Amino acid sequence: MQNILSFLILVPLLGSLAALLIPSKKVSAFRWLALGAVCVQLVLFVLLLRNYQPEIGLQFIEQRLWISLDLGSWGVLKADYLLGVDGMSLPLVGLSIFIMLIACISSWHTLSNVKGYFSLLLLLNASIIGTFTAVDFLLFYLFFEFMLLPMFFLIGIWGGARREYASIKFFLYTLLGSILILIVLIGLYLSVNDPSGAGGLVHTFNMIHMANPANYISNTILDPNNMITIGPLSARAWAFLFLFFGFAIKLPMVPLHTWLPDAHVDASTPVSIILAALLLKIGAYGLLRIVYPIFPEAAVQFSTMVAVFGVVSILYGALAAMASKDLKRMIAYSSVSHMGFVLLGLASVTTEGVTGAVYQMLSHGILSGMLFILAGVLYDRTADRSIRNYSGLASKMPLYFVTVLIAFFASLGLPAFSGFIAEVMVLLGAFKSNAHNGLIHESLAVLATIGLIFGAAYFLWAIQRMFFGPFDVKGVAKKLELPDLDNRELLMLIPPCIITFIFGVYPQPLLDFINPFASDFVNHVITQAKILSAHP
Amino acid sequence: MLCLFLTLFLPLLSSFFSFSTPDRYSWLIILIAPFLLLLTAVFSLIVIFSCWNNTAGLIRIPWISLSDASISANIFLENTTLLMASVVSVVSFLVHLYSVGYMAGDGNPRKYFGMLGFFTFAMQGIVLADNLLVLFIFWELVGFSSYILIGHWSEKTQAGKAATKAFLFNRVGDAAFLIGLMVIWDTTGTFEISTINTSATFEWQTFAGLCIFGGVIGKSAQFPLFTWLPDAMEGPTPVSALIHAATMVAAGVYLLIRVFPLFSETALMVIAVTGAVTAFAGALAALFQFDIKKVLAYSTISQLGLMILTIGMGGVYAGLLHLFAHAFFKACLFLSAGSVIHSLHQAQRRDQHHFDVQDLRNMGGLRKNLPVTFLTFTISGASLAGIPFFSGFLSKEAMYTALLKDNTTFSLAVFVVMAIVSFLTVLYTFRLIWFIFMDDSRKPSALPVVEVPMIMRIPTALLAASSIWIIVSLNPFNFFGWIVTDRSNAPSIWLTIFSVMWVAVALVMAYMRFRKPSFLPNEFIADAFKIDVAYDFAIKRSSEKLATTVEFSDQRIIDKAIHASAYGHVIFAHVIGWFDKYIVDGLVHFVSSIIRWVGGIARSYQNGKIQDYILYAILALIIFIIWAL
Repeated sequence: MQNILSFLILVPLLGSLAALLIPSKKVSAFRWLALGAVCVQLVLFVLLLRNYQPEIGLQFIEQRLWISLDLGSWGVLKADYLLGVDGMSLPLVGLSIFIMLIACISSWHTLSNVKGYFSLLLLLNASIIGTFTAVDFLLFYLFFEFMLLPMFFLIGIWGGARREYASIKFFLYTLLGSILILIVLIGLYLSVNDPSGAGGLVHTFNMIHMANPANYISNTILDPNNMITIGPLSARAWAFLFLFFGFAIKLPMVPLHTWLPDAHVDASTPVSIILAALLLKIGAYGLLRIVYPIFPEAAVQFSTMVAVFGVVSILYGALAAMASKDLKRMIAYSSVSHMGFVLLGLASVTTEGVTGAVYQMLSHGILSGMLFILAGVLYDRTADRSIRNYSGLASKMPLYFVTVLIAFFASLGLPAFSGFIAEVMVLLGAFKSNAHNGLIHESLAVLATIGLIFGAAYFLWAIQRMFFGPFDVKGVAKKLELPDLDNRELLMLIPPCIITFIFGVYPQPLLDFINPFASDFVNHVITQAKILSAHP
Repeated sequence: MLCLFLTLFLPLLSSFFSFSTPDRYSWLIILIAPFLLLLTAVFSLIVIFSCWNNTAGLIRIPWISLSDASISANIFLENTTLLMASVVSVVSFLVHLYSVGYMAGDGNPRKYFGMLGFFTFAMQGIVLADNLLVLFIFWELVGFSSYILIGHWSEKTQAGKAATKAFLFNRVGDAAFLIGLMVIWDTTGTFEISTINTSATFEWQTFAGLCIFGGVIGKSAQFPLFTWLPDAMEGPTPVSALIHAATMVAAGVYLLIRVFPLFSETALMVIAVTGAVTAFAGALAALFQFDIKKVLAYSTISQLGLMILTIGMGGVYAGLLHLFAHAFFKACLFLSAGSVIHSLHQAQRRDQHHFDVQDLRNMGGLRKNLPVTFLTFTISGASLAGIPFFSGFLSKEAMYTALLKDNTTFSLAVFVVMAIVSFLTVLYTFRLIWFIFMDDSRKPSALPVVEVPMIMRIPTALLAASSIWIIVSLNPFNFFGWIVTDRSNAPSIWLTIFSVMWVAVALVMAYMRFRKPSFLPNEFIADAFKIDVAYDFAIKRSSEKLATTVEFSDQRIIDKAIHASAYGHVIFAHVIGWFDKYIVDGLVHFVSSIIRWVGGIARSYQNGKIQDYILYAILALIIFIIWAL
């Protein structure tokens, strides 16, 4: 029980190493290895779930000294191997394992270089779990950066026609974000003192210490008591903006989103699933875990900006999806639109809003995974993703039609599916914000509601064009057979259907995790912001 | 209590059963689904008989609890909900029964009956919910089942379009509804209707009321969001009867009744005006339709407008009464129309003679072929037209009474609109029946049209029986009965006389006008005043334009900027490369070449000739000697 989080990270890592030892001819061994590793993780996760206590926040903490360098008069450089989960990260860890399981099944028939593929997949798995559980900023950053490497190769080698362009674009965008984060990381490191350092100056990367204003060394650059201003803004405001935009690239937020459609269109189905379901969540996770708790007063100061970006993402993403001719591109833009709700909920800093934001992260994880599986199903059969080349698929592929209906309607926020709960909570929180904490104006919530209409429009038009009418397939796919879903595809699609339905009808079990986190979060941000803004 | 839950969940069970039955046993569905709905109807009647006129009850069911708030899915019980629940169950059962005949031979009974059951469940949810958010959930779910059922024949492109349109129009209304919910949550902190209704007025109340009315506009097909309903007639006719006439579209009216105390004076004024405009526009459009189902669809719009108008004027009981009466006679009209279509279709199939079986111009003189359908159609039509001895007369009388309660100019104006609409109603109903059943001169060739099977005739006949006055009250000229019990709203005798006279005048006029068939087309009115064209132009085109602009900005502006910055980097890198190669390296090369040059000079003295060396040695010696001296 003690080191369960480490095991969660180690299992795929060891799997990845083991994959390197198996001769590359044994193709099926890699599949089973990857699947086995994820299944072990699943068992560990169930153990984690059983021992979780909702009333305490961060738990399963593992702390080991990792780096400790005595720098003489500079003090001590200290970074810990510090892991832990709370009500937000635990569901995300669960989501990661679930999505990885689906990605494994979806990758079952990968043809070229199976060895490399699965070892990269396992590596990615380990770093994603690591990112969601790290509580030390340096450790988080390490895992965060490490994700890029397998992702870059997974897009760049196993992708579609423009895979190199897409992978480099993805890499450069994310790298830019990473640099912004790194700058603040160094600034924080220079400014924060470990209170357990027994009087001496101990620089630390511990996020919990960073979130407590008492731990800042006076007269350092990010010391809240001694505002250093750079240009028009204080250093802390700059740090907030750097971190915000750094994570917003990952989210992705309009106008920093254009890597997403390209990466999705050219990534293979399992990679798209992971990208949409998990990697986008890391941006939001960073905002919730790092940016807001550490810079609460700047977060409050810039809340309108964050909310406006959220609303713009919702509307812009939906409109771009409406104009997309490629099914996968449309789904990619729908992700932009959905992640906008996360920003809006976060910006409101109300319990409803933050709960909704986390709920939306999880719900979108499940739903976007489903959507990309469905796009992949069609692409596997015809190698054609243009919406206009299909019509009347409903009669030819009835099971596919049913799953598409479920996934699309769940995504456009039909009640009884998880997306509705998330969006309603975000909207309630965003509308309430002005009256309760005066952060964002009501009109932003009203504007976001228009996004729901657009969302329905593009999903329904896609269904209307592709599934209704007489059966007809144009283009290259004309002569191909179109068999309905097979068992492997059903195995991937039915669990997310059930999960999104359960969390749409009875959200309480999930809310029991998220809500304590959200109210602590709101409490922390609002009270700290008040204290910090009161200083001159 | 148990009966109530059975009323709610039996349709869901039926839906679940239909979906999970394998294709091979799909014949089981047509037995089990109507049977389960029969049970539903029976239980709902048990509930209504046992709980009628009890004090309002609340069944508490916790749903979501947050740290500082909770939302529960309570069930509210009072006369209105009970009445509506039993209307839904009974009509749904009859439509299920009818569908067994109508949809015989359909390729996908699982989907059809599954969705029909699901719809009934969701509709019961709307009726029983005491929580606005829960109500909204079911509200959207009925929209979803309506979408699937309109698009049931997915091979028809038109069906897909109509389904999409219906859902999107509803979605626009629902977005407004959702905004209303946000306002209510913000200001009152609760969604419970029973609490909201009894709470004091709050800030933004008019706005919240209007937003919720926005949802009603979408769902009940009111102006300006009404054009989806005629298009929705692409769905199977029993679906039109159940969803687009009797229950779902009436949900909007029902919602108005449930949250009536929420609306402020101004909001009610807006509601009344919207209802009046819709009622008039719908009635006028119905008069110029040639599609038998579209006449009924516009008629539904118009009648819903009347209910909303009445509620806007404060006549909640009258709106409810008309809702109740309308559910039966309109469902009956639709099912009778379905019988006409079905029998013509069958005859057509036997005869290999193709024409549009829904077009009034292709019908006539069917009264002898379809005697039962003629009877049911006429009875329900009479009820729609508000002819005495039918339920429609009484509910209309109630509405007139409610409108005349306060003597203001506004209410008088609304009364006049209502009278005109009633007049038009008589006209289009007469036109419809006359064209289909009378007028032997236009009998559709010699088609062997025969009456529909018993399983379709029985439900239609039952609904026709529910369209007479006894369903409302024992006195055919007074609407007091088991539904309206408050005697303070007495109808004046003059009003009853006026009502009777007015219908008589309208009938005479209709006979004069439509006795000889004339098919004067008026495209402007028939297309609902071209409002769709305007939408197409104003909203669809502009949003498509916006979407293309966004795509353009994505690919041409943001990506271009990124590419430009990437190119900038590459160019910069090249500049640095050039600098490295020519300036930095040049400097290095320059230095090294100087050294080489100097070295070259020095080297040139060491040419290996002994004579030169001796010469240098001697020269050096001489210089040394000179210097030493």
